[in-house]
Amino acid sequence: MAFSGALTLTDLNDFITPSQACIKPVEQLNPNKPEEKDPGAAATEIQIDRSGAYYEVTQESKSITNGTPAPAKKLEQAQINLNDCLACSGCITSAESVLITLQSHTEVLTFLEENEKNRGRIPVISSTPDVAPVAESYKVPVISIAPQSLASLAAAVAASPSTSTSEHPTPLQIMRRIRAFCVEVLGFECVFDTTFARHIALQEHIAEFEERWRAATEGGSDVASTGTGAGDSAKGLPMLASACPGWICYAEKAHAEMLPFISRTKSPQQVMGTLVKNWMGARWGKLPNEIYHVTVMMCYDKKLEASRTDFYSDIYSTRDVDCVITTGELELLMKEKSWDITQPVPGELDLIEPPLTSRGAFDPFGNLKSTAPRTISTSTDVKSLKTEVAPIHFPELLTHPGTSSGSYLHAIIAHLQATSPVPLALRVQTVRGADYEEFMLSKDTGTSGEEGEVVFKGAKCYGFRNLQNVVRRVGRERGVRTTSGAAGRLGGRAGAGGGVAARLRRRAAEGKEEKKERAYDYVEVMACPGGCVNGGGQLKPVIAPADASPAPTPPPPPPVVDEEGYKRDWEGSGVAMTLPPTTNGTGVVDVTQNARWGSKEWTRRVEEEYWRIPFIEVENRLADGLTGRIYDDLCGFGDEIERAETRRRYFRTEYRAVENEVIGLAVVW
Amino acid sequence: MAPPPSYTISPLAVLPGHTERAWHIAWNPTRPLLASCSADKTVRMYAYTPACKFTHVSTIATGHTKAVRALAWALSGRTLATASFDSNIGVWEQEPNGEADGEGTEGGEWECASQLEGHETECKSVAYSSTGTLLASCSRDKTVWIWEVHPDADFECMGVLMDHSQDVKCVVWHPTEEILASASYDDTIKLYIDDPSDDWFCFATLTGHTSTVWSLAFSPDGRYLASGSDDRTVRVWKRVSAQELRWECVLVLDGHERSVYSVSWSVGVAEEGNKSLGWLASTGGDGAIRVWAFSEPEGEEMAGSSIAPPEHRLIASIGSAHGVYDVNAVAWCPRDGHTDLLASAGDDGATRVWRVGVA
Repeated sequence: MAFSGALTLTDLNDFITPSQACIKPVEQLNPNKPEEKDPGAAATEIQIDRSGAYYEVTQESKSITNGTPAPAKKLEQAQINLNDCLACSGCITSAESVLITLQSHTEVLTFLEENEKNRGRIPVISSTPDVAPVAESYKVPVISIAPQSLASLAAAVAASPSTSTSEHPTPLQIMRRIRAFCVEVLGFECVFDTTFARHIALQEHIAEFEERWRAATEGGSDVASTGTGAGDSAKGLPMLASACPGWICYAEKAHAEMLPFISRTKSPQQVMGTLVKNWMGARWGKLPNEIYHVTVMMCYDKKLEASRTDFYSDIYSTRDVDCVITTGELELLMKEKSWDITQPVPGELDLIEPPLTSRGAFDPFGNLKSTAPRTISTSTDVKSLKTEVAPIHFPELLTHPGTSSGSYLHAIIAHLQATSPVPLALRVQTVRGADYEEFMLSKDTGTSGEEGEVVFKGAKCYGFRNLQNVVRRVGRERGVRTTSGAAGRLGGRAGAGGGVAARLRRRAAEGKEEKKERAYDYVEVMACPGGCVNGGGQLKPVIAPADASPAPTPPPPPPVVDEEGYKRDWEGSGVAMTLPPTTNGTGVVDVTQNARWGSKEWTRRVEEEYWRIPFIEVENRLADGLTGRIYDDLCGFGDEIERAETRRRYFRTEYRAVENEVIGLAVVW
Repeated sequence: MAPPPSYTISPLAVLPGHTERAWHIAWNPTRPLLASCSADKTVRMYAYTPACKFTHVSTIATGHTKAVRALAWALSGRTLATASFDSNIGVWEQEPNGEADGEGTEGGEWECASQLEGHETECKSVAYSSTGTLLASCSRDKTVWIWEVHPDADFECMGVLMDHSQDVKCVVWHPTEEILASASYDDTIKLYIDDPSDDWFCFATLTGHTSTVWSLAFSPDGRYLASGSDDRTVRVWKRVSAQELRWECVLVLDGHERSVYSVSWSVGVAEEGNKSLGWLASTGGDGAIRVWAFSEPEGEEMAGSSIAPPEHRLIASIGSAHGVYDVNAVAWCPRDGHTDLLASAGDDGATRVWRVGVA
């Protein structure tokens, strides 16, 4: 199983790879299987016609050459969709390149093309939202872009030879350029970034942390049961971040015992899905299935996240996010449409635009441009359409200080500090590099050099390796163990009252009289080393701009082919490179490390770009106001319980352990 | 010059007991103990006297739900690691037996002190580093994991290496440096080191075998690496120089009629007069055990060449070591005074012990 293009380029050393074999074909049952007949009855065989369809032909009927061709039964082709992939335990990963084509940039183009044909068939702004959806009606195309994707593109633009390094565009400028591209060239009605959705996700995340914190402190050490994913399985501390779909997928397949700890708060992508399909849709008089929502993400696994059944509406047969493309795929789109992202667009330097004069994409509420002539002046596209609802400014590129992966941990720390009756001092401690750090909040004693009682301990943990250790640690601290197979049995012995492990622990406790270390309260978990700026869907590193074309696609190194013909892009995957035999040997390590350094250096640059998103105070202020308004709009003004319930439905989700029984079924030693 | 002595492989003990095929054996480095593991999910321990009389002393019903594929003793000889097809690594320690934590071979029950989860599918091999501070494991899931051994049977994951494109069959550590080697169904051998400022990474891929590489063994001085393959050969790779991390294939040994499943390289019993590099034993699907003696390349010009192959001589071999059955593993005893002892594990479920000596 090959990785898809972009994925091979980052530091594969620490990614989760697909497993040896997809088990789906093993599980596939043939519904057309004929009744068992007596032994010796006619055998059947499978034939494949020119179109590739499979037919089952009985040999008996084939042998009778009486002119009539044997009745050939067309067989169903086994198909694997993203949902199968989620439900399957055959792979731990998610980045199956075959499946990714279901949510590709070509899929977006095909949709937009078809959709354009339907434009005008149905009134774009329906005044009666109750009207049943008409099939093949025009859908409002909306696209939402993750800030990490903007940072990746900004870094690529900065590294391109046609950009002067001193004044390369900020992610905000990149956002404006992409907006112009998406509106003018692709025909999207609205172009958003996902930071406001993240703003809401962070509020929800904090609220959930408070709930768990309260439950944990009131109910004593309320250890989560190894939950089944049913309703109230979400409990206990530490709360583990939920925004990384790679981590969620892995936990569901390999560490069900962690599921109760994983935050139920939706990721920014899925909050954005709710906002676009439900809140904006309502304001526009559009049903969820009358909107086509595309997101641009830093991560292939976001495609799987969008495909989860939790984010599918049975009523409207539509997903909150219809299609996810990666940063790399967006770049490909621009290249295919000959859009030069290095060129500025008018007005891109404006920090904020007045709501009414912003481009349609920017202020879409009541201002859908679809009925307007298709001549867009991107800078001052004043919509003269009559507006039934007051225009609302949708905040653009909010900044959340902390980490470039969403600042989940920092949002909680800031909240705790802000709401604590006593001052809390923050101390950061590196456990292993920048990808594994601990954050302690302690009561300020007033005396320097003296640390008060630690009231909160959080960690930021990125990359598969560190994730393993956090899972082990949380399991140990909270006394939960995996329940799968031998692991459980071995663990049972190891963890039971007797046994070496228990004795060793006792001995350690007695011997050292160790100060009981505070267990984690919160962990910001991300599967990628370096976090989301280094996501698998990001652009390839552009390290040597000297000979590179503006498009950051350096020619791939010659593939190393091994004896069985396995091609591996060693250099690209950031691992070893075989030196030509002529090279003086001392260079081996250096070159290897250069390749590795390259990808790390690139991640550092993307991180740097990420933090060049300007802080615009008014946007952040508007965001807080709008958040409350959205809660009101979506949750109504019913009683508290009702409101809370609706809010949960809109902003939280659930997880399910994937049973792991099929492994090894078809294995021959 | 006197003609080189001739050697024989003579049987010392047959240790039956496993109810299914025996996969692997491991000699305790500090105590007179030999462990074997099997598809029957158990580990059997045998003690031996200075006169090499072997007795079965204990059986660990491991709790692994599938075959125990491989074993590794920690440097101290107090901890045993098991790699199982159930995808887990077990770490076992012996309960003290009332009496002084002792040298005794008896001691208490072997208990699971820790387990390492993470592999997605069958674990194929496990190995402790020479200093005992690191543990490596590999699996059909194509990954190699490196764990740091902490006190109190605790482990921390240091790296997950995903460089192989297929099932990883074997991991071994360099005898003196922190260099890890892995062998795979993708026909390659990969070598890894730790980048102090970063993570473990693969610095070299050794290609040459034309089929699965089943087994690896470093020479005792660490300058050579032997590999046994499904292509029926044993290859010997040489480090170009002590400063460099480049390895070249310098020798291809034929002779086995079927897959070579296992190789083991030990100091052997040095002959006088030459710079011995030790003895290499190999075995496999043909049921034969072959033993080669290696020594430094002779001659001025050869000695000066960084890729000169070592002198080598097949000193002994035996066919049908386990009757008609495949032999899955061979291992030299590492303990002083017993370096002429060789153990083998076969599909007949038996562990056999051999002495290689002058005829």
